[in-house]
Amino acid sequence: MRKSIYSCIAALAVVSGANADVKVGNPMAMTGPIPDLVAPMALAVDLAEKHINEQGGMFASGEEYVIVRADSMCDPVASVDAVTKLINVSGVVGLVGPVCSGATIAQAESVAIPAGVVTLSVSASAPAISNMETGTDLMFRTAASDAYQGVALAELALANGLTDLSVSYANDDYNAGLAEVFAEHYAANGGKIHLNEAHEPNKASYRSEVATLGANTENLALFAYYGSGGITLMRNAMETAAFSTFLGADGMLAQEVIDQLGAENLGQATFTTSTSDESTHGYAMWKALATVAGLNPLGPFVPNSYDATFMMALAVEHAGSADRDLIATSLRAIANAPGEIILPGEWAKAKKILAAGGDIHYNGGSGPQDFDANGDVAGDFSASVVQDGAWVGKIIK
Amino acid sequence: MWESFGFEFVNFYFIPGLVLGCIYALGAIGITLTFGILRFANFAHGEVMMTGAYVTWTIMAITGALFGWALHPLIAAIPSIFLMILVFFVVDRFFYKPFRKAPTIKVVMASFGMMLVIRSLVQILWGPNQITFVRGIAKPNGFIRELTGSLDMMILVPNKHFLIMAGTVVIVILLGYLLTSTRIGKAMRAVSDSPDLALVTGIDVEVVIRATWIVGGACAVAAGVFLAMDIQMLETTMGFRMLLPMFAAAILGGIGKPYGAVLGGLVIGLAEELSSYPWIGDSPLLSPGYKSGVAFSIMIVMLIVRPSGLFKGRTF
Amino acid sequence: MDQLIGYFLYFCSLLAVGGIYSLIALGLNVQWGFAGLFNVGIAGFVSIGAYTYALLTTDTSPLHYGGLGLPLAVGIVAAMIASGLISAIIGVICIRLRSDYLAIATIGIAEIIKLVLKNNSEITNGPRGINKIPRLWENFTEERFYNDWPMSWFASAETWQSIFSSLPRWWWQPCFALSIIIAVYVVYKLLEKLRLSPWGRMMTAIRENEPAAHAAGKNVTGRRIEAFILGSMIMGLAGAVLAMHLRLIEPTNTFDPSKLTFLVWVMLIAGGSGNNRGAILGSFLIWVIWSASEIVINVGIDVIGDFTNIHVGILSTRAGYLRMLLIGLLLQYILQKYPLGILPESRPTASSKT
Repeated sequence: MRKSIYSCIAALAVVSGANADVKVGNPMAMTGPIPDLVAPMALAVDLAEKHINEQGGMFASGEEYVIVRADSMCDPVASVDAVTKLINVSGVVGLVGPVCSGATIAQAESVAIPAGVVTLSVSASAPAISNMETGTDLMFRTAASDAYQGVALAELALANGLTDLSVSYANDDYNAGLAEVFAEHYAANGGKIHLNEAHEPNKASYRSEVATLGANTENLALFAYYGSGGITLMRNAMETAAFSTFLGADGMLAQEVIDQLGAENLGQATFTTSTSDESTHGYAMWKALATVAGLNPLGPFVPNSYDATFMMALAVEHAGSADRDLIATSLRAIANAPGEIILPGEWAKAKKILAAGGDIHYNGGSGPQDFDANGDVAGDFSASVVQDGAWVGKIIK
Repeated sequence: MWESFGFEFVNFYFIPGLVLGCIYALGAIGITLTFGILRFANFAHGEVMMTGAYVTWTIMAITGALFGWALHPLIAAIPSIFLMILVFFVVDRFFYKPFRKAPTIKVVMASFGMMLVIRSLVQILWGPNQITFVRGIAKPNGFIRELTGSLDMMILVPNKHFLIMAGTVVIVILLGYLLTSTRIGKAMRAVSDSPDLALVTGIDVEVVIRATWIVGGACAVAAGVFLAMDIQMLETTMGFRMLLPMFAAAILGGIGKPYGAVLGGLVIGLAEELSSYPWIGDSPLLSPGYKSGVAFSIMIVMLIVRPSGLFKGRTF
Repeated sequence: MDQLIGYFLYFCSLLAVGGIYSLIALGLNVQWGFAGLFNVGIAGFVSIGAYTYALLTTDTSPLHYGGLGLPLAVGIVAAMIASGLISAIIGVICIRLRSDYLAIATIGIAEIIKLVLKNNSEITNGPRGINKIPRLWENFTEERFYNDWPMSWFASAETWQSIFSSLPRWWWQPCFALSIIIAVYVVYKLLEKLRLSPWGRMMTAIRENEPAAHAAGKNVTGRRIEAFILGSMIMGLAGAVLAMHLRLIEPTNTFDPSKLTFLVWVMLIAGGSGNNRGAILGSFLIWVIWSASEIVINVGIDVIGDFTNIHVGILSTRAGYLRMLLIGLLLQYILQKYPLGILPESRPTASSKT
């Protein structure tokens, strides 16, 4: 009997981990509709973790900074489940993630905000997140809202001379929201939308939708995830030459699209994503680190993932202890001016300044990451086209 | 009729509907036979389709890596069919046979479980990501285009669709021969139409059951490979997505009637694609968001109005 | 201490979700255990209950129909009524279908319900779903509730605010879990009473030997429809509670049939079909196995990752599928070795022996 009690306690200890470290939860959509996009983001999170621990760890005692990863599957229910365990069983001090907007909103409203835990999403871009809180300040993100990306895409379309088009969006939370912002802005600025239809993800054939959408126009604005029907729809469109020009957003910006459809067929496809301004110091620093680690510095939301992880650690260090209640204020303090500029990877420098009681201002690889009152950041967007068999992006100014 | 619609109708709606219908038809054949002879709805059927496609791809990849062959999917499908029939036997022996005499719910539950077990196995072994089956974009067949062009029509059919439709025709003809002219085929029909009478005349039901798995398995793998050829990729959920329309096709045609299943499949495939045609005005008749609902609606209407299906199959 | 509170709260969430599944299983038991109806469209009825509750109790929003801000109790009752109504329509149409046909038809209907919810964005906000759904007990801390009746009858807004800030942040979680357990208990008691009542005994007679029941002049179809509606109403209740727990519902993933429908059937079969106590036991058992297995598998992956060279990332993406595989195999095992479930049905016998 005693033996089983001891083994239970031992198991609990194993599960909860030793207490002498700082645990941060990292729910990511490792499986789901966009695994190929999420994998490098997870690697960037790990990279930040590595840098922090290599350069002295947390606090004067050098505690380890531990990222506890969970699979939120880009699904609200799974993310609530995963985050409940992260907060209650793993005892994390804050959350870096999730990836998808629906998952982020669900876990925040259901678990994180009631528990007083900060959520710092790496890529959730739904406009709804900006105003979702009343009375609390626990929701932050390192990615710019789609309210901007939709507008940027509409302006890009008009600038490229696409005066008319049809819109097809996958009927899920991310793509439906983005399509709506795009359509509104595009039409308001003189563009003509022939048809604006939803399509069900994960179908075997979109040929009839494509034919109907393409009856009167050569241009398609496609909002879909590549892994849940986006590729099939583009393929169906190309097979019948229904459209000559494709436009869309980051759900389609994956190497898989090139691998499956063939670079030679993607000459007229442009997809936008959030990106970093390459002229900043923050980006230059990040690029060096990423290249050493073998990561693509401009991968969608990859620098944002590094920045979020790094900033969470800076916030905990600033707070002085792994106390959930202090994180939000500390996060704002380290992210915004005033303070000495800290660039990606400069953990030891930041630690020294904070230990001496100074203030820092983190500028990340994905942008200055200054939080506004809603916990949002401004961001830049790039338009990517296929060059030499890979997506190459150019920033939109 | 074609003149008023123009050839967009034929090329972009009708033929794709036929192709989808062929895939549904082949899958529905296996389902209707299982339903008729073994008397239960086999929910694992879609997963067998999917696994057959995955195994075919694996064979193509292995032979390509080891011997440098570039096997055509239809050739690689043949060993795949043998393998999947074996899988069907194993599953039947261990998971379905114990419930032969039990209430139907037990074996249907078991098939639910098998659906998840098979799908999870594939996801563990091959990973959850999509796999490219055939790269690139399939352009319409030039020969057919020129032939019809010279006749003042314009039929655009990529090779893969041509193969799928031709393949389906061949399989259906073979199936017809099997069921009408061979002993085992007639035994299958007997058990399906009236199991008690079949027993009385001395037909060995276990042999018929094995034959059902063989024929059903071959059709399922064919359907899976055709689907993979059409969408040019492999996904672990592709089988399940097809499952309900295939059930709808089997019910539409009449349980236990393979020709009914073929007709049912074609009807449902056509209905799905044609529902997005702008019959009235410029917009699709039915919002494409509801496209999945077409098959289910047809099925439910059938169940209410005429549960025995178009060809008067079994009703339970 | 914090760690212990964390475990306690995790335990509360296990109770809450286990309770929700218990409610669904009890509802399914009415349909299956009492009336022998093979309903595989559970997800559809749960989603109707959830959406009805959400639409009636959420605040005004430009994104979806709402702003009624009705009391939670009204929302819950409405959820049950809505589920019951829809199931009445479906029941009248489909009740005569035999088992597999009914299974397929109910799956199809659940799919159609999902598509309707997804495509009517003006009402339901489509795929983006409805959020800020008020959760029982937690809603008391929200301004729009304590500013309004009935809470304002008891104390002013400031008093409420100071009361809530003096309580620990997580005070409502055990209350919520407890409420669900009480609800499960109440439903269980009612269903047990029903089972032993003349209605319940007639249902058993119909299930065991339908031709005889027919011959005895019983209205088999009518009784079946009643059972179907009652079961669906309980599922609607479960849906409302689920909406409370998640606070965000959307049509694509929240009511995923492979988690909701399949898991509940496993729970019922494992616990003992036809048996209310078995339904509850099966629900908690399977849910705890399901939830805890993730922790166990993750620990296992860490161990494997430490000892071998396999990258932890690859293992963790496959981990979810391993869970599914094991649950599927568990189901097969239970079906064959424990066909009556862990708690076989106890029938009231005619003789005095128990």
